[in-house]
This record gives sequence, structure tokens and C-alpha cells, in this order.
Amino acid sequence: MSKPYGYAGKVLRINLTDNKITTEPLNPEEAKLFLGGRGLNAYKLYREVPASTDPMGPENKLMIATGPMVGTMFPTASRFNASAKSPLTGIFGDTNAGGHLAPEIKFAGYDQIIIEGKTEKPSYINIADDHVEIVDGKKVWGKTVFETDRIIKQTHNDHRLQTLICGPAAERGVKYAGLFANQTRAASRTGMGTVMASKNIKAVAVRGTGTIEVAEPETFKEQVLELEKEIREHEQYAGRRLMGTTRILMMADKAGFLPTRNYTQGTFEHAEKVSGERLAAEYNVKTRGCFACTIPCSRIYTIKQGPYKGLHGEGPEYESLGSFTSRIGNPDIELALKANDLCNQLGIDALCTVGCIGWAMELYEKGLLSKDETGGLELNWGNPEAILTLIQQIADREGFGDILADGSVKAAEKLGKGLEYTVQVKGMDLIMADPRGLKGFGLGYAVATRGGDHLRSEPFIELSDDPSIGKKMFGAPGATVRMADTGKGKLINYFEDWCAVIDALEVCKNIMQNMMLLEFPRAAYAYKITTGIEITPEETQMAGERITNIERMFGIREGITRTDDTLPKRFITTPLKEGASAGTVLKLDQMLDEYYQTRGWNPETGHPTPQTLKKLQLEYAIPHLPNHTD
Amino acid sequence: MKRIKVKAENCAGCRQCEMVCSFQHSKKFSPSLARVTVHKDDRDGLDYPVMCHQCSQCPPIEACPTGAISKTAEGWTWVDWQTCIGCGACVEACKYDAIKLTNEKALICDLCGGDPECVKRCPTGALEYVEAPESTETPEQAFNRLREAWNIE
Repeated sequence: MSKPYGYAGKVLRINLTDNKITTEPLNPEEAKLFLGGRGLNAYKLYREVPASTDPMGPENKLMIATGPMVGTMFPTASRFNASAKSPLTGIFGDTNAGGHLAPEIKFAGYDQIIIEGKTEKPSYINIADDHVEIVDGKKVWGKTVFETDRIIKQTHNDHRLQTLICGPAAERGVKYAGLFANQTRAASRTGMGTVMASKNIKAVAVRGTGTIEVAEPETFKEQVLELEKEIREHEQYAGRRLMGTTRILMMADKAGFLPTRNYTQGTFEHAEKVSGERLAAEYNVKTRGCFACTIPCSRIYTIKQGPYKGLHGEGPEYESLGSFTSRIGNPDIELALKANDLCNQLGIDALCTVGCIGWAMELYEKGLLSKDETGGLELNWGNPEAILTLIQQIADREGFGDILADGSVKAAEKLGKGLEYTVQVKGMDLIMADPRGLKGFGLGYAVATRGGDHLRSEPFIELSDDPSIGKKMFGAPGATVRMADTGKGKLINYFEDWCAVIDALEVCKNIMQNMMLLEFPRAAYAYKITTGIEITPEETQMAGERITNIERMFGIREGITRTDDTLPKRFITTPLKEGASAGTVLKLDQMLDEYYQTRGWNPETGHPTPQTLKKLQLEYAIPHLPNHTD
Repeated sequence: MKRIKVKAENCAGCRQCEMVCSFQHSKKFSPSLARVTVHKDDRDGLDYPVMCHQCSQCPPIEACPTGAISKTAEGWTWVDWQTCIGCGACVEACKYDAIKLTNEKALICDLCGGDPECVKRCPTGALEYVEAPESTETPEQAFNRLREAWNIE
């Protein structure tokens, strides 16, 4: 098979130990099986990073990949995944962001960049089309994300180059340090910044001047115009255009699943004061968008007075806004903007950061943690000084922050208490939606292949509360009723496969999935007219299933079993007392049984069966199943 | 005459204009093939699409050693690729950094023959095709204007 259209057609491999830079042609068969982006990373990581690899060692590999439609005018095709074995969770590490980095990688000629080994001295990687070099990093080591971006652009005298940067927190080995594109596009889950810094690499700079061609240009244009029209006419268009994801905060509060005071409550009495609506009315001055987006939904805010006067920047998204307000009992929206800015500059994941701070605050408020133990910090809900100090301390690995810098589970281990109050799965802190009000989301958190996370499935359709949809889609009315316990296994099975396809194609989940615009038949069609590779809707869905299974196998090879597919205790034992999600808990075991059965996995172990792996052309993973005899 | 007018406060920097322009002229996708280039400042969140201003006095016309650049009857700046030798003199001469060289040919906005595709496809209304005087605004001027309005340094 010749080089398919759409793809750049090459994989760039950078071995830092040997200073060896090579390219490999993209294998078209592998491309069809895994589509691109997240899928390609999952496949290569499984094949190249064996069990028990030290996540912080030179044997770990950091992979950055993008998708077949990226670098064209296909709406929202702008994203990349960065993947490696995670130093936070010890399983499949993976994170995704938009902005303008991914198309630049394509224009430079690559679908995937694999970084392996470790340099002797702090360095950064500079890619300008075929010219790839490891550059001395003295000037940028120790610098914030924003400073690093400025220095690299200045050094190369090119304001069009794109960067992917880790902050000073990554250099100090904070386990949930992220990678940042366009300064504030955070690919910050699972510690991929930590991995990059462990290789003595501060940043990847990319500049591309090449060209992407699609298989059927005229049909492609028709499809793009059709999608742009559907997006503009969609009922969610206006809200997303004005507020981006911050529109969720008030919705979550009304529905009673807005995590408040470390998930002890589901509504926040100050929700309106910290809402996306308020941000839009009082702080936002301009919108920004990712590459080729039809709904630029990102926002520039400025603070005109008060203690943070002059602070300005891009964002925040709902997850950070909610994290730094309701989740830690803070009614001050400006403090939240400041905290989010600090996380971006220092290069840490807002969700894990606040997971640790919220957890510590709950212990402090319950009297389980004393001022002596926190180094004098008074961790009362919403205490501005404590919040900002702790963020800095985490990034610096100093004081009480050092205890929190390895994640909430390790922090509980170090203190010898409070594990039951951490809100994490497999070591990764959860997002901003209380699963007691979204039962399917809860199952999604429990089984997500990268640990506690909603973006592996994001079954937003639960919010419709319309049983007829669930009946039609899955023969299970409960699947699309948010408080119901039944049908969720089928729901998560389907939405995981769908999200895997969306991530592999590197389009935007908010638009293409949440707005129901790129379901399997259309994804298959778009893939075909872009790449020239024929694929059916069923094969597309199966690619999603394959990606989910290989990521699952990565975890299983590291020892994951059913008992790890769990949730924080309070979601299973303690109902919320107030709000529209009060009164129930998750029947997780029942949901897991249904999920494993739908997946074709062993219900006792949570492991894929050999038959399932064979069906998905993942025969090479079968010997890695525990108790496999062959 | 009608010109493409840029509203910097509306531009989200999505660069769809670059992709649309590239495709319109070549059926392929590359910023190198686009006659428009979005200048950006990620720190302050500023974006500005730069393309030919359609100046009535166009220095690149004078600078071109082969006479490849001229004005059409409508007053649009036009480059004849048969005559263009790719020397780059026009790139140097343009005050607005609106010309680029790709494959040894000068790329200059041709207004898509009077119906600019980028204007139709801009998702935020940052581009308008209207009767307007020649703009003398540079991205940096527009950025400073917005920084001042937003009270940021």
C-alpha cells in the first residue's frame, strides 16, 4: 500500500541517549487499525514499553501523535495526544490538548514523534521540517512555561513556531506535571510533563512548511461545509461560543453534582459568583480558538482591579474554574483565575493539584490534620493564602507541598492517614462531576484506562434523562437516565469506543462527540475521503474498541484487575444530603458486571478474554494475560 | 474600492482563513500555500490575519525586476506567475509583510476574484469584504491598541 492521504506519512524517532534521529514510514495497516493520535500511541507504547519499565527512567518513551485530518480545514481537527507510562499511576499515561501544535507537527512531516532515552544535559528538541536537533537547554531550564515559550521563539527568531513545554514543577519531579502548548493548552493529565523532564528535555519546538493532501478534495470540502453549517446551527453553539466549557458550572450546580468542598456537597452556595456566566459578563475581553475551529470557545480574561490587577490570560476551562472554586470552597472567582494561571506557569495539572489541596483541606477541617503537620498553613476551605502558597510549594517540592507532589494517594501514605478521603481512581484525581448524580460517569471513572477520568467515555447523553434514547441505542432505558443504575455498562462500552475514535482522529470531543456530529458512520466517511482508505462504520467502532482494549492490556500487564476498577468510598456508601442528586449512591459492582459482559471481558478478573483480543487482532497481547498458559 | 477589512478584536486566531485560502488556490493544505498569515501573541491572546492591503501605491510593483506585479482594472494587486522569477524583491518591499515566496513564486492575495473565500468562512466575523480606505494598520499596532483597551502591559 502506498502512503495514504491525510497522514503526513512519517514517524520521527528521537533517541536522546545515542543522539540518533531517524524516521520510519507510517505503516498504513497500523494506521487503519488504530486510526491515529491516541490509537497510534497506545499501540506503539504497548509494543515498545514492556511491563515494569521505570516511568522516570530512560527506557520509558514519550510519544506525541496527531490525526489524519489535522492540518486541513476539517473543523476542530487540531489535537494531539502525548503518551508514556505514567509516573503518577504506573499504568497507561495519556493526555490530549488542542491549540496549534498538532497541525505544525503535520506540516513538519510527521504523524508521530517518539522520544526515547535521556540526554546528559538539560536540552530541548527543535524540529524544523526535516531538520531535527537537540539544543542546549541552559537558557530555558528552570523557567516557567510562559518564559520558556518566549525564549525559544526569540532564540529561533520565529514567532510562528509551536512549542510543547514542561514547567519547573516537572523538572523537580512533581508526579502530575503536564505539557503545555500555546502556553495554556494543558495536556496535563497523568504526568507526561514529568516524563519529558525525566529525559532532561524541557520542550519540543516545531516549525513545518509542508503540505497535507486529502484523497477526495471536492467531497472533502462539501463535508467540511456541511459540518460547519451544522455546528453553527446547533442549539449548543451560542453557549459554547460565549462561555466554552465554563457554561457547565451552573448546570452542574442546578443538577446537584457540582463537587463542593472535596465532594462532601453537590451544590455550592456561591455558584453564581464563580460561574461561566459571570466570567463572560465581567472578565472576558476576547475569544480564541484552536486551529480550524468553527466555535472558537476559549476566552481571554483580564482583571482590572484588586489584588490580582493586571492578571490576564487564556481560559480557564470548567474543570479548573470549578476546581479552584466550589471544590475547595472558594467563592472568589479572581482567586481561581490566579490559581489557574499559577498552575499553567509552573506546569502542573489543575485537577490533581486541587485533588491534593481539597483532600488536605477536608482533613484539616475535620481536625485530622494539624497546623504543625502543614508547616503552619491554615487549610480552611477557600483560604486564599493557603491555596496559592500550596500551589507554589507543590511545584517547588517544598514544605507541605512536597508531601502532596506525588499525588493524593502517596500523600495519604506519607501521612499515614486520610486515604478514604482522597477522590481518585488508580492514583489519578477525579474531575469536576460528582458521580452520585451521574451514575454512568461513575462507571466511566472506575474503568477508564488512564485512571480516574471522564474523557475516556464522557457519556454526556445521560444528562438528557430521556429513557427513550437509551432504549433505542442500547435496548436499555436506564442507560440515558442519570440517576439510574442499569444499562450503564452498555453506555460506557459504546461511549468509550466512540471517545477512542474521536481522540485517534484528534478532533474535538466537545463538538464532534458532545454535539453528536461525528458518530461512527460519518467518522468512517470522513476518514475515507481524507485518507483514501476504505473503512466501514463497524470497522471504525472496532478501532475504538481495539484502542480501549490495548490500553486496558497495558494496565493489566502492570497488574490491574477488577479490584482496581473502583471508586472513592463515599460514592459507594454515602449519599449526598442536599440538591438534585441527593439520596443515592453507586451500585458499582452491578454496573461493572454489565460492563465486563458487554466488553467480552472476564467478569471475575476484568481481563479481556483471549477470544476478545483475537477478534480485535490483538493476538500479541494474549500471552500477557495473567495465568495465560501457552 | 472593496477591501478585506480586519477586525483584530474579533479574530480568534483559528487560522481557518489560512487553510481555506490554501485549499482555494491549490486544493492542498499548507500555511506556505496561503496568501494570508495569522500573526499571534499567545501571552496576551492576540491574533491578526495579515494579507495584501490592496494599497493604491504598491511598492512591490516598483520593486519587481520583471514587472510581474501589476494592478488589475479593478485596482487589485496581481502577480503573474509566468513572469515571476521568485527573487523576493516584493517580499522585502511590502510594508505589511503580506507577501510570501513558496516554490519560487510570490503569493499575493487575489481576493479570490472579488469573492474572498476567507471572509465567507471566518467563524468569528473578523474579516469583512467592504468598501474601505486602505488600511495602514500593522498587527503590532492593533495589538497595542487592544492591550491599551484591556489595561494590560
